[in-house]
Amino acid sequence: MILKLQGISKVYDKRSVLEDINLKVKVDETLGIIGPTGSGKTTLLKIIDLLEEPTTGRIIFDGIDALSVPAFKIRRRIGMVFQETPILKRTVYDNVIYGPWIRGEKPQENEVKRVLELVGLLGYENKDAQRLSGGEKQRLALARALINGPELLLLDEPTSNLDPVSKKRIEDAIEELKGETSIIFTTHDLFQGQRLADRIAILQNKIMQIGRPSEIFRKPANNFVAKFVGVKNMIKGEAEMTKEGLTLIKSDKINIYSSKPAEGEVIATIRPEDITVSWGPRDSSALNQLKGKIIGVNEMGSLFQLQVECNDEMFAVYMTRKSFHDMNITIGSNVWIEFKASAVHIIQ
Amino acid sequence: MNEILQGILKALELIITLNPEVIDITSRTVMISLSSTLLASLIAVPVGALIHFKQFKGKRAIIDIIQTLYSIPTVLVGLLVFLLISKSGPLGSLNLLFTPWGMILAQAILISPLITGFTITALKGVGDEIVDLARSLGATEYQALSTLVSEAKYGIMGAIILGFGRAISEVGIAIMIGGNIRGYTRVITSAMSLETSKGNLELSIALGIILLAVSLIINTLLNYFQEK
Repeated sequence: MILKLQGISKVYDKRSVLEDINLKVKVDETLGIIGPTGSGKTTLLKIIDLLEEPTTGRIIFDGIDALSVPAFKIRRRIGMVFQETPILKRTVYDNVIYGPWIRGEKPQENEVKRVLELVGLLGYENKDAQRLSGGEKQRLALARALINGPELLLLDEPTSNLDPVSKKRIEDAIEELKGETSIIFTTHDLFQGQRLADRIAILQNKIMQIGRPSEIFRKPANNFVAKFVGVKNMIKGEAEMTKEGLTLIKSDKINIYSSKPAEGEVIATIRPEDITVSWGPRDSSALNQLKGKIIGVNEMGSLFQLQVECNDEMFAVYMTRKSFHDMNITIGSNVWIEFKASAVHIIQ
Repeated sequence: MNEILQGILKALELIITLNPEVIDITSRTVMISLSSTLLASLIAVPVGALIHFKQFKGKRAIIDIIQTLYSIPTVLVGLLVFLLISKSGPLGSLNLLFTPWGMILAQAILISPLITGFTITALKGVGDEIVDLARSLGATEYQALSTLVSEAKYGIMGAIILGFGRAISEVGIAIMIGGNIRGYTRVITSAMSLETSKGNLELSIALGIILLAVSLIINTLLNYFQEK
């Protein structure tokens, strides 16, 4: 384990920014911290890099209680790239070798070349770093952090507001570094998090859920995560167990079955791609069959998203272009939707 | 008009022929102002850095006072230093009155607020994020603060040059503390004042041209550092 956070909290002027953060990062793991603006992502990274002191909690870095040793000794093993990275008024080369220089080390020329090549800035060595574009500066910041061979790399929204070329360069560099070093990056871009991270943590002042991206997208742990990851078809209701061992969820408007056991107040979610549309009720194994009306159609590339109203409850349903045209669906069509009980995920 | 033109031509002749009196006054002026700027910088730059880095009660008020002192009249500083170094003053035993050393001390006092204030502005301009950056790259606290000062070096140099400009062009201290003694404490501004009153316009104009040239060099250097 390269990093362990235990009960980290941070309070600024009586305003709680982070609450009871418990986190473990394995050696060479890539963790994405995803959260909306103001969710405490930057503060958390600064606490990990010992640039901010937590109000409570412990930081264990590679088995060492990081708050009990001189901060610079831990920081020398960590690299950090800030969201709006400051650039030293020096050449690109001198910016890169700043880390080795303050350590009293002579920079290895092939190492300088390697990190500059990784971020696509080879040949820029003698340029005035202040005159680089925003994207180039961010790439330089990454090279400057990498030259020190960090055991843990912290990247604070490394691609926000960047041009597509620089964004891709940085994402490619992260991909290349994956498995070579431990990485924690923050982003508000869900898809970037999903694409680059081994695990993602959803942060909203506290960790709302942590797990593999597919787990979080498929099984959001709570209402916040479900809304944040853009889960559609959220139905609030009372759950009760049936004799058959199924869960019946009764909302004000409809009743649906789930194969996941639950009782009390719950939110049921169904992924739009798990719902099928037909002209009439079908003899199928799907326990949930509801009559509805098409009230909206959105084209989404090869898919169509249908808005189906079933007894005042709205459902989003994805259909392939072919199925949509084969069925000849139009707004106002009366249809049936069906989905299996196993497709109904439950958030307690 | 003709008189002015003749004056300018004669002044140029004095400069081109390296008139001994012009050279003597100019070199003394530069030496005294450089010395006072060096003395002021040795104190004002660290004080400015200290004020910037430390968080304390009344910080804003101190910065306000420093900024107010930018425009303190030179004669007021002259009077203050006169009271300090005159025979009956607390530093009277040092015999600094009517010496270049007294002038250096007084000019240093005059320009210290300017250098302190602009050092604070220069450090503020670089931003504390540089300190966080340096720390994140493994710098110790001392290395991080040194990096900030190094990043602000052009701004601090600008502050020092500004101080030099104010020192070389003042006249109050030169007369009140230096006494305008020929060959000893006479500098460009005090000499111009005296020579004009005596009707020796050529020498006054020559010294004025030199002072203008110095100002031009100062401004060029300032612009250079500001662009950095």
